[in-house]
Amino acid sequence: MPARRFLASTAVFASVAMIWWLAGRAGWTNAYLLPAPSAVIAALSDLAASGALLKHTLISLQRVLLGFALSVALALPLAVLLSASRLARSVLDPLLEFIRQIPPLALIPLLILWLGIGEAQKLGIIVLASFFPVFLGFRGGIAGVDPKLIEVGHVAGLTRREILTRIILPSALPELVVGLRISLGYSWRALVGAELIASSAGLGYMIIDAENLARTDIVLAGILVIGAIGLLSDVVLRFTIGRAFPWLSADLEAAHA
Amino acid sequence: MLELIDASRHYDVAGRAVRALDGVRELFPAGSITAVVGRSGCGKTTLLRLLAGLTEPSSGEVRRAPSHSVGVVFQEARLMPWLDVAANVAFPLKGRLSDADMAAHVDEALALVSLTEVRRALPVQLSGGMAQRVAIARALAQQPDILLLDEPFSALDAFTRRSLQRVLIDIWRARRPTVVLVTHDVEEAVLLGESVVEMEAGHVVGRVTIDLPFPREATDPAVVDHRRSILARLVGGTDPVTQAIHSGRK
Ligand SMILES: Nc1ncnc2c1ncn2[C@@H]1O[C@H](COP(=O)(O)OP(=O)(O)OP(=O)(O)O)[C@@H](O)[C@H]1O
Ligand SMILES: [Mg+2]
Repeated sequence: MPARRFLASTAVFASVAMIWWLAGRAGWTNAYLLPAPSAVIAALSDLAASGALLKHTLISLQRVLLGFALSVALALPLAVLLSASRLARSVLDPLLEFIRQIPPLALIPLLILWLGIGEAQKLGIIVLASFFPVFLGFRGGIAGVDPKLIEVGHVAGLTRREILTRIILPSALPELVVGLRISLGYSWRALVGAELIASSAGLGYMIIDAENLARTDIVLAGILVIGAIGLLSDVVLRFTIGRAFPWLSADLEAAHA
Repeated sequence: MLELIDASRHYDVAGRAVRALDGVRELFPAGSITAVVGRSGCGKTTLLRLLAGLTEPSSGEVRRAPSHSVGVVFQEARLMPWLDVAANVAFPLKGRLSDADMAAHVDEALALVSLTEVRRALPVQLSGGMAQRVAIARALAQQPDILLLDEPFSALDAFTRRSLQRVLIDIWRARRPTVVLVTHDVEEAVLLGESVVEMEAGHVVGRVTIDLPFPREATDPAVVDHRRSILARLVGGTDPVTQAIHSGRK
């Protein structure tokens, strides 16, 4: 069944590439506006050979992973705090809700002024973009815990802390996982956006640099790499989580559908 | 010591006061086994929740030795969906026993409910009756001083139910916990209770001592007699349908 699904999705990708190739061949598209697949592959192999592709990819990946980790490290304790304390909720919720409404890219100008165009600004963007899905997913998961299970813990004489770690956190996990997946995707997209605006390295920079040089083949190559890495990291995340928490796989299927 | 002293529990349901339990005074002697019977909604679960300390009385008092451990089998299985069967049974023991002791308790409890084979299964993979047996095993593995069971055998077929009733009696005779068993099945109450507490609309309306040796047989004329008289009192001529069914079964 998984093999079949894999074949089917590969076939869809192949058909899109086929149409793309045919469109170029038949002269429906302008080779500058939409270079042929062969031109893009040639650009990719050039970039790979020169080491530029690896360099830009690694820089982007490093930023995403760091920013994503930072986001998760901030969101988890904050979600626990706000779920546990009514006071913290009433004080912090309005502020968080306010920040949540602001598109991260709208803050880029400010972040550049405050943090420059270096790594801090990139991390800032990633954190802003990826914080809320994890945070809200986790809070939703905690709020959704079945109080009947908590009673089982009370009867067993569990402490507050044990009830948190042994009942609340595991049962909040499915929603947390959905939040993590959304966050990782948001991180990746926000980063490329930030690199497009102000950067000297990374996949976003590679694309904008190519645009300035009118190299649409490189632009497309960059886009393909970004999509492929995003897809791959979601697969890796789901695989890791599926391995670690087998009872979650049903929920993951639902989230993926 | 396990005692309710004029304990009441009222709920506010849509602005209307529901007296789930109303001034119940009842002593459950240490090491005794008591069955509680009564119609649906008469307050059996509420009584058990008070005894377990899960609900505070609106008035009156619940007395329970603080040093006594409590095991509860809820009306629903309440298993942790992320833990397999063995881990669910071990849940209350974790951090309180050594790993070796815990494994021994779990193995014993799973064997008692005949679920050793499915110890690695997840709750979603169990039938309703199996899940209920896991919940029973979880409470038994705790070897509690006080064992509270809320219709623990309701999802089981007649054969499994009979064998688990025997298991419960064996455990009680071997370890002598204080057992309070809620059931809607009067026959089960007579088979398992040293005494049977009869409830109606939040009140305890009777307590019968069943002075018969264990294990008891449902076909024993003395058991049949007790069952008949308890039913007659609970039905009490108030409900023609139940009464008709009851007299039809005689
Ligand atoms: N949490 C609650 N909130 C409001 N009302 C409640 C609550 N728990 C119980 N009640 C009410 O208290 C009464 C007794 O309920 P209880 O669950 O104790 O009955 P029961 O004897 O266990 O019934 P059953 O045999 O159906 O399980 C019912 O009228 C019920 O509606
Ligand atoms: Mg009940």
